Amino acid sequence: MIRFNIHRRGFMAALAVLAIACHARAQEVVVTGATRELVPIALSGFTGEVDQVLRFDLEVAGFAVVSAEKASYLLNGRNGDQVEGTLTDKDKRSLFNGGGRAYPGGTSRSQAHSLADDVVKMILKYPGIARTKIAFKHETGQRNQHNEMISEVFVADYDGANAFQLTQDGTVSRSPAWQPGHRTLFYTSFRPGRPCIFSHDLATGARSPISNFNGMNDGAAISPDGTKIAMVLSKSGSPDIWVGNIDGSGLRQLTTTREAESSPCWSPDNRTLCFASSEGGGTRLQLIDLAGGPMRPLNIGGLRGATEPDWSPDGKYIAFTRMGRGENFEIYRVDAKGGSPEAVGPGEDPSWAPNSRTLAVIRRQGGARKLSLLDAFTKQAKDVTTISGSCGQPSWAK
Amino acid sequence: MKRLFHVGLVGLVAALALASAGCKTRAKNLTALPSSEGRGGSSTDLPGGRPLPPTQGSTGGGNAFNGVPSNAGRYTPNANPTGVDLNSGANNLDPNRGNTALPTGDLGDGRREDREMFRGNTVYFEYDRSAVKKSEQAKVAAVAEYLKSNMDSRLQIEGHCDERGTEGYNLALGERRALAIRETLLNFGVPAANVTTVSFGEARPADSSQNDSAYAKNRRGEFILLVPNGTALR
Repeated sequence: MIRFNIHRRGFMAALAVLAIACHARAQEVVVTGATRELVPIALSGFTGEVDQVLRFDLEVAGFAVVSAEKASYLLNGRNGDQVEGTLTDKDKRSLFNGGGRAYPGGTSRSQAHSLADDVVKMILKYPGIARTKIAFKHETGQRNQHNEMISEVFVADYDGANAFQLTQDGTVSRSPAWQPGHRTLFYTSFRPGRPCIFSHDLATGARSPISNFNGMNDGAAISPDGTKIAMVLSKSGSPDIWVGNIDGSGLRQLTTTREAESSPCWSPDNRTLCFASSEGGGTRLQLIDLAGGPMRPLNIGGLRGATEPDWSPDGKYIAFTRMGRGENFEIYRVDAKGGSPEAVGPGEDPSWAPNSRTLAVIRRQGGARKLSLLDAFTKQAKDVTTISGSCGQPSWAK
Repeated sequence: MKRLFHVGLVGLVAALALASAGCKTRAKNLTALPSSEGRGGSSTDLPGGRPLPPTQGSTGGGNAFNGVPSNAGRYTPNANPTGVDLNSGANNLDPNRGNTALPTGDLGDGRREDREMFRGNTVYFEYDRSAVKKSEQAKVAAVAEYLKSNMDSRLQIEGHCDERGTEGYNLALGERRALAIRETLLNFGVPAANVTTVSFGEARPADSSQNDSAYAKNRRGEFILLVPNGTALR
């Protein structure tokens, strides 16, 4: 039985602890390279859920919610019939044209998200992500009649609210990937008795088999223009990167190594794939152009154990998981042209938000795996505490 | 460019399940898996998925907040999966040639799984390795002997990993392990078209404990015999 616990008291307590922890952390941030400091902001006048949502949204975005004396900005407002807010700087200058903003319609939760997005855009100068969605794999530990650990694909608001179980196949479903610009998910399901990649239209529920070969059909990644699919197939005798049209037609084999390739992702210009390969021992990041040519290593300064790359939507960075020995996993980001990688924080399987700044990652906590949102610039992490069970393989809708 | 076109053409041929053309661009000694119907395939009986509930219009475009999604928590396991969907049409394949052509058809049709037959033959691997150790070869050889004297049997090999790798990495590693066992079987003379693979990565541990002994049990390849219905076992 899955339970999505939104015990309000527990949630508030967790948020309060997080707020304190983040506040404490704000003092410790050291600015190095591209790392940025948390921006101190104070909230006043909001209550209950709206207050919680605003804190969460702003902290994920790179703010530290602090007391008014320490704040550079003040977000003041109220939530009754609708959320209203004013945003001022230290000199009490209003940052919203006309003074205040009101957010009628929808739920108080969505109103709070909208206000948070406006604050982020006004101060941090990038589009907010508070109203985006994340798909992920979810396990409860339940097994089916074949003794397979059941995993299903879920879609939730980026903060874990409104989680919705998309697949009900009662078997292994995994590796969700959004088709950019569409309300369609691709994922691997064992529903036909073995792994097959499906596309699933979220509006109608219609789904179609895309890749159904013997062996591995996994790691679907859709090109930013929404027209092509990259995936890992082993039908040739080794897990290799293949690319086809969005419906699975016109397949081409891009890699021909004897060792395993995994986790393909696309450059924003739809021309290049980055993936992990164990060719040559260990695992390293490789690039290959769709137009042809051999795969070539991405320079990450000799760092070993790099897997699960994800290319930021603005094209500047590639985030990846560095596997240490054991379960010591660290998220890094490196210039997409190659260079010296920078550690961002513990976690695995990063997926960039549309803002090219926040990463959805998985963190192992005891036996469970939790969804966490990691700011690649400030390195501040916020765990999504509302989802029980184990999460994996986040894919941020873009 | 010419080579690339050729690769694309071969992929297309395979996708259309026209099989039997060799994948000559593969330089190394790998053996292709028996092909299924590839794209589309036999999944026409797949039930439709679920639509995402419509969002509630608002300034924010946000959703109704109801805490517990109405349908979360109710897994409805599939009572009757269509069975392992392997491929049967393979003939005249030389397992030593590598780059074996892809036949068509479904090996698994009308077959049932026997997970017990080769339980004692489970192959274990070193940490982060996919080579079949010398000490494990005899187990594979025994499976090969059975398959060679029961040519109507088919086999699925499941590759598994311990949890000390990322999920993406382990999915690929599990597949490599299953494929390495498959190559060993083929070297013992088992027809390539009778054997396929699946990777569970780290998702199906034999022992869920977090210690070296459990990890060693989890780095494994299991043999699942696919027996024609109506055939008596053993």
